[in-house]
Amino acid sequence: MRPRPPEPPTRTWFMRTTAYRLFMIREFTSVFLAGYLIFLLVLLARVGEGPQPFESLLVTLRSPISIILHVLVLLAALYHAVTWFNLTPRIMPVRLGEERLPDAVVAIAAGYLPWIVVSLAIGWAVLG
Amino acid sequence: MSASNGAAAQTTEESLEARMADKTITLEVFRYDPAAGGDPTFQRYDVPYRSDWVVLDALNWIKDTTDGSLTFRWSCRMGVCGSCGMMVNGLPKLTCSTFLKDYYPDPLRIEPLANFPVQRDLVIEFDGFVEKLKSIKPWLIRNDQRDPADGELRQTPKQLAQYKQYTMCINCMLCYSACPEYAFIPGFIGPAAIALAQRYNLDSRDQGQAERRKLLGVQEAVWECTFVGECSAVCPKHVDPAAAIQQAKVTSTIDWYKRFLMPWGKK
Amino acid sequence: MKQSNEAFWWSLFSAGGVAAALFLPAIVVLTGFVLPFAEGDTATRHEQLRELIGWWPVRVLLMLVISLSFFHCAHRMRHLLMDFGVRSTPLLLAVVFYAGAITGTVATVVVISRL
Ligand code: SF4
Ligand code: FES
Repeated sequence: MRPRPPEPPTRTWFMRTTAYRLFMIREFTSVFLAGYLIFLLVLLARVGEGPQPFESLLVTLRSPISIILHVLVLLAALYHAVTWFNLTPRIMPVRLGEERLPDAVVAIAAGYLPWIVVSLAIGWAVLG
Repeated sequence: MSASNGAAAQTTEESLEARMADKTITLEVFRYDPAAGGDPTFQRYDVPYRSDWVVLDALNWIKDTTDGSLTFRWSCRMGVCGSCGMMVNGLPKLTCSTFLKDYYPDPLRIEPLANFPVQRDLVIEFDGFVEKLKSIKPWLIRNDQRDPADGELRQTPKQLAQYKQYTMCINCMLCYSACPEYAFIPGFIGPAAIALAQRYNLDSRDQGQAERRKLLGVQEAVWECTFVGECSAVCPKHVDPAAAIQQAKVTSTIDWYKRFLMPWGKK
Repeated sequence: MKQSNEAFWWSLFSAGGVAAALFLPAIVVLTGFVLPFAEGDTATRHEQLRELIGWWPVRVLLMLVISLSFFHCAHRMRHLLMDFGVRSTPLLLAVVFYAGAITGTVATVVVISRL
């Protein structure tokens, strides 16, 4: 009388619960980000080539397809950032004596605040 | 006067009971008979619905009144022993703490804990799990040959707070059932065992960290984990084993760099 | 007991995760929605941008952010494929994705040092 071995995971195991789906979306943000990084390199190279290529680049950036892709990439980047900051306090919990600092405090101090500062700094450096 | 009052009270009680008895809830229960072999089947049972019943009550009702052959584990009925874990509508749950009223009137599908071999019906085999727990040396390791007669090892509340959360585990294995990586890699040491390792690693009285950290640094220990986080979501004791694994990854990474930068350092 | 080298890749993944989370949203907003629609003379804008990217601390920062983000993405995409059930060739997967990230890093250094 042998026990029945466990069922191996199905191909679509992650569709079974919302939590699994959200996990896969979190991991999938990397595909969008990787694509964007390559695009960013092309963009930087263009800036280096002079005002003319930069001008035509701006025209490309105004196209609907560029805007749609940017919206998708932005959503992915935001989802990555928010999930990342929310998980940080559990990876690096902060203890003060017997008490553990609330996760929200750590997430804000180590994630959201620096995020705001960096974002403002980038905006200021480029536009200011 | 009082007699008629009593009669009235009795009728209300009776009709209440009658009404309660009308209400039933359906359980579709996974059945597997190892002697017969073959594929498991799902058997439907209509169980009286009581708002204060948990799934385990319904299973016990079935076993007592309709089908004595239904096999499942339970003991404490209060979320302490960790033996009544099953899949309820696809999610791992302690059936003694899962109320029928949260599902009524929909039917419930009861299956043995996912990712484990099934011995019979709802009973799974946990030998592998126990081996994994043992493999991380879950005891205080001392280098100094202390004798219990030397007196207790003292600890401040602050030192206790470092690991207390990880002592709350009741070995219910729900976390393993929730873990997709464990489903892929049965050799993965898994959430509860790594939380247990951290429980000792963070204990000020323990001196076995170096040993245990080597155990955690192998591929099948912390590195199969991708922080899905569902182990922690289903844990009835808020152990947060996923956090234990990530923290072990951090120490493991520090160890890796130490070995890499100072290969002559002590092993 | 064979210690896994996953620790090394995981450290790059983590550093890249932080970099991507802190820097990428703002950069995406800039390239997607701000720069293309900004008022004013493009030639001056181009000149300003060049000057900014030409400053060495900005260059170093850009290289770090982009390269680490590449490693972050490579690690996640590798595990994503494994979660999709691609489990028969784990070594090949690792080599392909991390080689991709290394290529990305080289490309980043080349592009940025030429600016
Ligand atoms: S960590 Fe939580 S879910 Fe896992 S065995 Fe322990 S108590 Fe159960
Ligand atoms: S019966 Fe003990 S935990 Fe449920």
